[in-house]
Amino acid sequence: MTEYKDRLSRLRGGQNEIANHVIDEFVAGRLSRRELLRRGALVGISAPVLGGILAACGSSSPSPSTSKSTSGLSNQTINVGIITPAGAINPITIDDQGGLDMLGQTGEYLTFSDQTLTLQPQLATSWSSNSSADVWTFNIRQGVKFSNGQPLTADDVVYTYQLQTNTKTGGNALSALGGVLEPSGVVKTGDYTVEFHLEAPNGNFPYLTSSDNYNMIILPSGYDPAKWQSSFIGTGPFVMKTYTVNTGATFARNDNYWGPKAKPAATNFTFYASQTPGISALVSGAIDVLGQFTVTGGEELLSGGYNVIKLKSSAHRELSMRCDTAPFTDPRVRQAIALTLNRPAIITALFKGYADLGNDSPFAPVFPSTNTSVAQRVQDIAKAKALLSAAGHPTGFSTQLIGVNLLEIPDYAQIVAQAAKAIGVTINVKVESSSVYYGKATFGDSDWLDATMSLVDYGHRSVPNVFLTAPLQTINAKTGSGAWNAAHFNNSDYDKLSAQYIAAVDLSTQRSLAGQIETLLLNETPIIYAYFYNYLTATASTVTGAYPTAIGHIFVYNCTKS
Amino acid sequence: MTDILEAPVTDVARAELPSWRLVMRRPGFIVGALILLFWIVCALFGSSFAPHSAYAQQLLATNQPPSAAHWFGTDQLGRDVFSRVLVGARSILLVAPLATLLGTVLGTALGLALGYIGGALDAIVGRLVEAVLAVPAVIVAFLFIVAVGASATTEILVIGFIFTPIIARTVRSAVQVESQLDYLAAARLIGESRRHVMFAEILPNVMPTVLVEFTVRLGYAIFTVATLAFLGFGVNPSTPSWGSDINANYGVIAAGYWWETLFPALAIASLVIAINLVADSIDRVLAG
Repeated sequence: MTEYKDRLSRLRGGQNEIANHVIDEFVAGRLSRRELLRRGALVGISAPVLGGILAACGSSSPSPSTSKSTSGLSNQTINVGIITPAGAINPITIDDQGGLDMLGQTGEYLTFSDQTLTLQPQLATSWSSNSSADVWTFNIRQGVKFSNGQPLTADDVVYTYQLQTNTKTGGNALSALGGVLEPSGVVKTGDYTVEFHLEAPNGNFPYLTSSDNYNMIILPSGYDPAKWQSSFIGTGPFVMKTYTVNTGATFARNDNYWGPKAKPAATNFTFYASQTPGISALVSGAIDVLGQFTVTGGEELLSGGYNVIKLKSSAHRELSMRCDTAPFTDPRVRQAIALTLNRPAIITALFKGYADLGNDSPFAPVFPSTNTSVAQRVQDIAKAKALLSAAGHPTGFSTQLIGVNLLEIPDYAQIVAQAAKAIGVTINVKVESSSVYYGKATFGDSDWLDATMSLVDYGHRSVPNVFLTAPLQTINAKTGSGAWNAAHFNNSDYDKLSAQYIAAVDLSTQRSLAGQIETLLLNETPIIYAYFYNYLTATASTVTGAYPTAIGHIFVYNCTKS
Repeated sequence: MTDILEAPVTDVARAELPSWRLVMRRPGFIVGALILLFWIVCALFGSSFAPHSAYAQQLLATNQPPSAAHWFGTDQLGRDVFSRVLVGARSILLVAPLATLLGTVLGTALGLALGYIGGALDAIVGRLVEAVLAVPAVIVAFLFIVAVGASATTEILVIGFIFTPIIARTVRSAVQVESQLDYLAAARLIGESRRHVMFAEILPNVMPTVLVEFTVRLGYAIFTVATLAFLGFGVNPSTPSWGSDINANYGVIAAGYWWETLFPALAIASLVIAINLVADSIDRVLAG
């Protein structure tokens, strides 16, 4: 017992207050092994120290999910199929899966969010915060070179972060970093040390430096991001050989890579406009790896004969109801609609079970901070009718739901409409192409943000910060908050709770606040969150080592083929 | 001589419409008409005799293969495919005939004007018609519907306008042939107005051409409506529609769920073939 305490005491040495609090929570049994790894990495406890803590307490770390391990051959060419990038490959503007897949082939991040949502060091070797979590210090890896031979220094990190946080550039990363970090808050404190002075305390800030915030690959200082497509300059395990718009790209192993060298000698990416030709390509053997597929249309891959990698994710659909528009001004009406849904049946029908139940808040089961003590909402037609009647709509009403034509969304919209009929509500479904649906993505110029009922897709995030802010916080044009608030939800209690959650550093505080937020959102129900679907990747049975992330990356540097 | 001039010109020169007795003797017409009649009945009363509601979802019985309970199986939302095929005739048989009728009326009027008046009008409008015809019909429809928004009315108007120049060109050719005939010279000689000559003298004589054109275009209209629905321009995804049902389900063919796509596709094929059989029979009878 004394030896155990001594070992823990030695491991605590050099850790800051927040890190020691995480260790305390684990020792007290309030964190699981996986949560220790995740929270510990978040607050900057190094992997050896985390391993030491687990060993001292008689535990071990979880293993990642990759395609099945068999003995394959290195130095092969791995053929990968992904969705076609939507536009130019520019680290500032990329906002689609095909584009972020391309960024990740040669670019690298300060940190890497792995499949268990645990942060791993990448171009940063360590990080830590002050006690109030509003200043974070990152130590940059030494001995790293860009593909043009230029060494990586703190200047490159400062340049990248100042560029991405500059509102004049209008970068996509502002959706995560806006209101969190200003360009002036990025400070070089040494050749390999950078401090981030945040606008407000943020316990999850390191995730915003990770692969999760996929735009944030580190660029050489002064590099014009608009030229990135011509060079794919980066520090990663591959270098670009060719890139053909709307067709594909080829990469070769980077023999100067700072880490373990990639196993394939080359990779060949083919772009597909939809998943159907991608599935056909995998079935025919034209590709070895299919970056992502969905259950709808991908049943063939689930029927055996392929390695399917299944990742739990926070990806979901948000069914917003305009809180400022009758009849949805009354929360009882919104609750009534939510109560009509048979969520387990929806998951069976749309995802063959490859999804988790949603409880009308963005706290997905995959998040450690999700408070599971809050009761799950279940279908209750009688209660729904009573609520509707109490709200003054005993015979129901008629309204319109507008959704984007993407994957299972049209089917989900029809299920919602059919379910609402049980309480006398007629929902006319309208499905639009993404260009029509999103419009200018601003209030007054977007069916997404203006429709009475709106059904939209949200991709995976490792932490719920973005889900809690943009679609739910009160709309404020000056501060930019609530920029995606299609429900026009306006609740000061929610705003305070969500701000407190984002600032919280320790998991127990986050769970407590999450419980309050979940309860508030169940009562208000501005948005229906019916499910969080799994992220699915498939490889040929002869391929091993593919490593997808739920945000949409597909990494093949460890791939072998037999 | 006076007697000849005063005789009713239309009675002298009017071409005969197909003898329905002759048409009815053609097996192709009978088969086509029966199939067409079946789908018309489905369009009007399909929801009354369909074995299940075309809208009712069974989320725990999705993608069920054809069986005694569901003759054509169920789709991805557990809806009965047979019922959706029966009721799905309604949307296509509402839009396609009305759109074709609109195109035929406008195209015939335009063709009469171009063929009879000719001159600068024919030269200018004729070039415009050719320009419109150079663009694929589905692309034009696609652009219109994106700009205006999808609805049954929009589809009728768009397809009708697309067919207008096509039918106009055919009618114009027929009118130009008619213009060489003596009865028109006679009509002009007795002072009939231009409008009267076009619509009272020439139109009855080009009606067989118009009729054949209508039936041919109806087949194309059905295919265009189905194509637009397949491309996602249907009105409401819940509404049974052969084209949109194919679009919603063709992605799962590879998974073995062939019935969800095959039966709506066969429905479209059968309807188009039926109309073509009818059109072909009429055309052959007219050709003698």
